[in-house]
Amino acid sequence: MKKHKIIQILLLIIALSPSILMAQAVEKNSLSLNLKYFNDNNITHHLLVQAKSKIDGKFQTIPNITIQFYIGTEADKRNLLGKRVTNDRGEAIIEIPPTAKDAWLKSPNQNFLVVSTATKQFEAGQGDLAITKAKLKIDTAEGKMITAKMVALVDTIWKPIAAVDVIVGVKRLGGILNANETQTFPTDSATGGVIAEFKRDSIPGDQNGNITIIATVADNDKYGNLSSEMQVPWGKKSLYMTNFDHRTLFARRGHSPIWLELLAYTIVIAVWSIIIFLLFQIKKIKKLGFE
Amino acid sequence: MENLAENKIVLDLLPQKFGKQGQIWVVCLLAICAVGFYAYCRQLYYGLEVTALRDYASWGIYISNFVFFVAISLVGSLITAVLRLTDVHWSTPLTRIAEIIAVSAISFAGLIIIVDMGRPDRFYNLFTHGRLQSPIIWDVIVITTYLFISLLLLYFPLLPDLKIMIAFKDKNGKWLQKLYEFLGSFWKNKPEQFKITDKAINILSITIIPVAFAIHTVTSWLFATTYRPGWDSTNFGAYFISGAFLVGAGGVLIAMYVFRTHYKLEKYITDDHFDKMGKVVVLLALVYLYFNINEFLVPAFKMKKSEEEHLMGLFTGEFSPIFWFAISASMLIPILILVFKKGRKPKWSFFAGILVVVGSWFKRFLIVTPTLLHPFLPMHDVPKNYTTYIPTWEEWAIAGGSLAGALLVITFFARIFPIIPIHETIIETESHEKA
Amino acid sequence: MKTNENSRREFLATTLFAGAALAGCGGNPFTPDEVADVKPSGEMVKLLSVDGEIIEVDKAFLKPVPEMPSVPNSEARVGIPGKKFAMVIDLSRCKSVKKCQSACNHMHHIHPGQNWIKVYPMQESEKTAPYWQPTTCMHCDEPPCVKVCPVDATFKRKDGIVLIDSDRCVGCRFCMAACPYSSRVFNWEEPQIAKEIADKPYSCETSIPQKKGTVGKCDFCPDMVRQGGLPHCVSACPNGVFFFGDILEDSVTNGAETFRFSDLIKDKSGYRLMEDLGTKPSVYYLPPVNRNFPFENNEGEKK
Ligand code: SF4
Ligand code: SF4
Repeated sequence: MKKHKIIQILLLIIALSPSILMAQAVEKNSLSLNLKYFNDNNITHHLLVQAKSKIDGKFQTIPNITIQFYIGTEADKRNLLGKRVTNDRGEAIIEIPPTAKDAWLKSPNQNFLVVSTATKQFEAGQGDLAITKAKLKIDTAEGKMITAKMVALVDTIWKPIAAVDVIVGVKRLGGILNANETQTFPTDSATGGVIAEFKRDSIPGDQNGNITIIATVADNDKYGNLSSEMQVPWGKKSLYMTNFDHRTLFARRGHSPIWLELLAYTIVIAVWSIIIFLLFQIKKIKKLGFE
Repeated sequence: MENLAENKIVLDLLPQKFGKQGQIWVVCLLAICAVGFYAYCRQLYYGLEVTALRDYASWGIYISNFVFFVAISLVGSLITAVLRLTDVHWSTPLTRIAEIIAVSAISFAGLIIIVDMGRPDRFYNLFTHGRLQSPIIWDVIVITTYLFISLLLLYFPLLPDLKIMIAFKDKNGKWLQKLYEFLGSFWKNKPEQFKITDKAINILSITIIPVAFAIHTVTSWLFATTYRPGWDSTNFGAYFISGAFLVGAGGVLIAMYVFRTHYKLEKYITDDHFDKMGKVVVLLALVYLYFNINEFLVPAFKMKKSEEEHLMGLFTGEFSPIFWFAISASMLIPILILVFKKGRKPKWSFFAGILVVVGSWFKRFLIVTPTLLHPFLPMHDVPKNYTTYIPTWEEWAIAGGSLAGALLVITFFARIFPIIPIHETIIETESHEKA
Repeated sequence: MKTNENSRREFLATTLFAGAALAGCGGNPFTPDEVADVKPSGEMVKLLSVDGEIIEVDKAFLKPVPEMPSVPNSEARVGIPGKKFAMVIDLSRCKSVKKCQSACNHMHHIHPGQNWIKVYPMQESEKTAPYWQPTTCMHCDEPPCVKVCPVDATFKRKDGIVLIDSDRCVGCRFCMAACPYSSRVFNWEEPQIAKEIADKPYSCETSIPQKKGTVGKCDFCPDMVRQGGLPHCVSACPNGVFFFGDILEDSVTNGAETFRFSDLIKDKSGYRLMEDLGTKPSVYYLPPVNRNFPFENNEGEKK
């Protein structure tokens, strides 16, 4: 690890030796990389990193930073999951690729590492994360109850986990609408489960009245982010209506109100036929002149 | 005897080469145009940044200039059509002056709109993507229509005069002769031809009135279709049209005086003409005053919160000097001058005409700018210079250039064609003598 | 129970392999209503599952939607199907931190000095309470700005968003005159943006890059919404003033809290600005009662 860094710095010095004086003149900002793990519905999982730096006393997200994602604790080529560049929000996401299979199956705990090399403005950055593999499963019970079960891998067995805060609700754009007034439900020690009564009656669903219910664990120190979803027919059937194709004054070209079109076209046609008629009169005068 | 008189009329009214004065005049106008053109090149290169227009005052003197041009172009329909249809004959010598003012003003109105656009290179979008719902499209349609009708109304009465011009082959240069022949070599003074032109002119006189009303009403709707205080008025169409007739008539007073003194046309544009035109201006000024009182008194009586700032800005605030100047220059003082018989003498009328036109220009400025600087939500979160509007030299140069350009068109027209219709004057005098 | 689960997993795997939409079954990495909207891209990616198996998933169905190319203009003019966006701004939480503004300016590369989001110090009259009022474009349902645009450069979409096509705009500024909320700004000069951004093709949904001589305004960040995110102002506000959501889902969220839209408006007496003009804004305000912060206007001093 250390060796790696020294080599990097040495290489950098050699590469930049002509401009080293200049490079020293510019003070670089340090870069912090914040790494998060997401388990999406117990099927796929991904890592998210956010690059931040304190500039002028304020933390700012940094775009355009190339991030190397590693599985394990070493920035070794064999552990490389891939490289991503942070977007405008300073975030980069990577799905765990098939190459990580062996490393992933090794133990119930997993380490990840992200590294960014130094750029003109920023020093090299690093961030790591250790998680315990866990699963969250959503289900329903009699009488519009939503249940969720939290299990984690201990050695080779999935065991229920107690006292983890679970959010249970309806999946909505950009957020989760809680199933009832309670914000979070702690899992019990016996089954690792929570139970929430669904009180969002007549919440709009899709055309068939289906809604997606979701249980999540957010930013848990040990397990990261977990979520589990399920579709249930508990919603109100929604009727999608739009005046997009109506003829209105604020509609697009070709969709103006009929009265306007009629009015405009009659006037234009009337006046221009007079103009055209008069142009023909000029022609007639011409003909008379040459007779 | 008759022939002699006729020859005299023809010789008097033939277009003349520019004298010394004329040359200086043309050079001055060209110079102003050139400066305007340079300013416009700068604007094309740097963008509208060179203007003082900003997010609040997003329209400025370009748009007021546009409104002014549209307004003054209405005069063509007033003099030619309204007076012709009501069988008023004293205005015959003025018809062509009015028509050419209309044509050049409406063309420059179109040009100044392009100048105001942020992306003049996309002008064609108005045709390829035009939306019928937008008042701008209505404006584009009516302005082109009005231009065509005005051109026709200029052309038909010109035909007999062209024949007269063609006869003076040696006096005309080669190019002019070619132009005249191209335009009117087929005119043979045949009665059938006269029958057609008479009919055509009548049709045009009728058609041009609604179209003229349309151009200015639609122009007023560019403002009145928004919610802003000072624009949100059902009175706006009539208010604009009455104002337009006034400024147009003022413009004709000026033109009459200039052509009369410059081309020595005292016999054709007589004191009597000034007298009558003066009366017309008084009437129009009173009508416009009436609409102004409507426009300002009624909202001032209610003093709605959104209107209050705007109105107080005009009456006693930052815009009050311009406001009171515009009101008095475009209406009050001209009325005071022209109400007296002495005031309707050419010199005074000329002065009154200038007051009307200048006052009206500033009136247009007041219609556009103060409203924009009094939005519903207070001006906030913008740089300091966004909250005021003082036009830059580029804007003045471009606006001035467009005015000079319009004058240039009129000047060249008067150089090429008889500014007083020769044929009609002959007919008029004949019928006069017979009677 | 167990067999049930097993069969579910089997079913899942097959459908995932096929990359087809599946409905009526929980446990898939995408919500069924999204499936209805999202068409499979046909581009499959191989991934490692949580259980350590290798699976194949259609790219379009990945949960944090990967950075997608902007939708074509024809699609951007219609909007996201089946949605109707709205915003709720809680005035009782605002203390003019202006993080919304700086995030918006930063993400849209707005010209220095200009703002799409403005935070007004408001006081209706001398004796009434002062408060901060952030404004975005109201995305009016009967937008006066769209009514007057001569060339369809600004348009109203199915999902309620009003956008601008800077490749079409002729810069007549009629829309600016027509908007009663002063929410539009104009690019008076060449925008000061980095070359690689300026060279991108313009997208109505990102409003990037702004172009000289055209108009710009708040766009409700449909590009973010397409990626499952929230508009920049919503996520940037430290006090959770902005709530964004789909009215057809009857919910709004500021990222941390999610409310049922109808309840929120009912309980807190939400209102819209200048209702009397009939513009029917999509932005609702919650009155500045029980304020979290006292009103302190230091703006004069800062300058
Ligand atoms: S707030 Fe203004 S710009 Fe936005 S939709 Fe309404 S009128 Fe148009
Ligand atoms: S400035 Fe652009 S968007 Fe606004 S009305 Fe004109 S063409 Fe339409």
